[in-house]
Amino acid sequence: MRMTMKTKVRAFVPLIAGLLAMGAPASAHHGDAAYSAKAMEMKGCVVTEFSWMNPHSLIKFDYKTEAGEVQHWTMEIGSPPSMALLGWSRTTLRAGDVITAYVYQAKSGVAVGRTNKVILADGTVLADRDDSTPSRYGTTEAPK
Amino acid sequence: MRQAFIGAVAALTAALVVSSLAVAQTAQSQNKQARSPWVYYPLDTIVGDGGPAPKRDLSGTWAGPGSTDAIPRGAPAEKPSLTPLGQQTMSQRKPIGRFGPAGTNDPTARYCDPLGFPLNFIYQNRAMSVATMPNRIVFLLQFGGFWREVWTDGRALPTKVGGEDRDSLDPTYMGYSVGHWEDDYNFVVDTTGLDERTWVLRDGTPHSVMAHVQERFTRVDHNTMKVSMTIDDPKMFTKSFSLGTYYYRWIQNQKINEWLCVPSETLKYLQEQGDPAGSYPDAEPQRLGGGGRGR
Repeated sequence: MRMTMKTKVRAFVPLIAGLLAMGAPASAHHGDAAYSAKAMEMKGCVVTEFSWMNPHSLIKFDYKTEAGEVQHWTMEIGSPPSMALLGWSRTTLRAGDVITAYVYQAKSGVAVGRTNKVILADGTVLADRDDSTPSRYGTTEAPK
Repeated sequence: MRQAFIGAVAALTAALVVSSLAVAQTAQSQNKQARSPWVYYPLDTIVGDGGPAPKRDLSGTWAGPGSTDAIPRGAPAEKPSLTPLGQQTMSQRKPIGRFGPAGTNDPTARYCDPLGFPLNFIYQNRAMSVATMPNRIVFLLQFGGFWREVWTDGRALPTKVGGEDRDSLDPTYMGYSVGHWEDDYNFVVDTTGLDERTWVLRDGTPHSVMAHVQERFTRVDHNTMKVSMTIDDPKMFTKSFSLGTYYYRWIQNQKINEWLCVPSETLKYLQEQGDPAGSYPDAEPQRLGGGGRGR
């Protein structure tokens, strides 16, 4: 059977994705079925509260729409132990900080969402997850 | 075809190398920072086996599953075979994985109730300390700040727990545990008397007060501990099954952080985020966030 180049490439995509995902144990607090799968970009958000807490930390911010309406948003990130591994801390955000928020909005249409990532004023990017990082051991196989 | 394969492998290798370098840099930058004896550095994972396992000793502070992906992956729990009562009880459970924070009736997710044993050794046990006392071994869990006693003085497990008699013992969230060293490196623990309000697994798998859990702690080497668990409960399961195998690794500076389920925080989370987001139990499951490298 002859395969086109596009078909050959497609055949390897699941393999590569699978290998990259090997280092990502799945034990999150909850799934994300309540949120839209497409992240919105919201620039110029002003942080009003950052709660570093369990089960999930919350970022509250004000976002002014193009029409001038100020919306009050709340979005969650992972638990402190999980997010600390990705560079977050209790002092990452403070009230008054201006950020760009990328958020998966709740399907219910309210102004809450799951964080995709946050870009701080100095350009620092802080994501809510990191699935692409393989184990530093190169494998998660159990030792014999 | 061969060229396409070589190209894909090369791309994958490059991606893994770049990612590994990023992790190594993170670890290096963490190593370069001044160390405080009061701080837990989860990415400062121990390397190597640390030498042979000490005999009859689990003492120390350990990083568990989910703390980082440096923890070897064990085996998940098997799917239980439920009795009619088990099926009926299970049908009333609304696990958070499907129903989300807004729709679940998981008592820990909604009210910060203790996970209880054995779930607290299956889920969220990202770190714990083990202390050896003259007549027992004590497990000090990071999540929730709970402790669990395993008596090693030769006593038998209680035979009357949860009954109506006056001398019947109360069921407890941690149960009643006795343990013995099968040999120099294997510590076997039997536990009964577990409170029926707790879930065995995150999916809501129930148990009765008749449940019996057996654990086998294996000190593989100085830096590695393995725990395999099984459960039997004739009221809920038609046969015993494995609750999984989990690995723990020695923590370099033996320090872990406080990590509690605080009721007021859970209430705030549910009121301001979880509940407004709603529950979609029939939607396609998806994972959008929540960390990485262990989650």
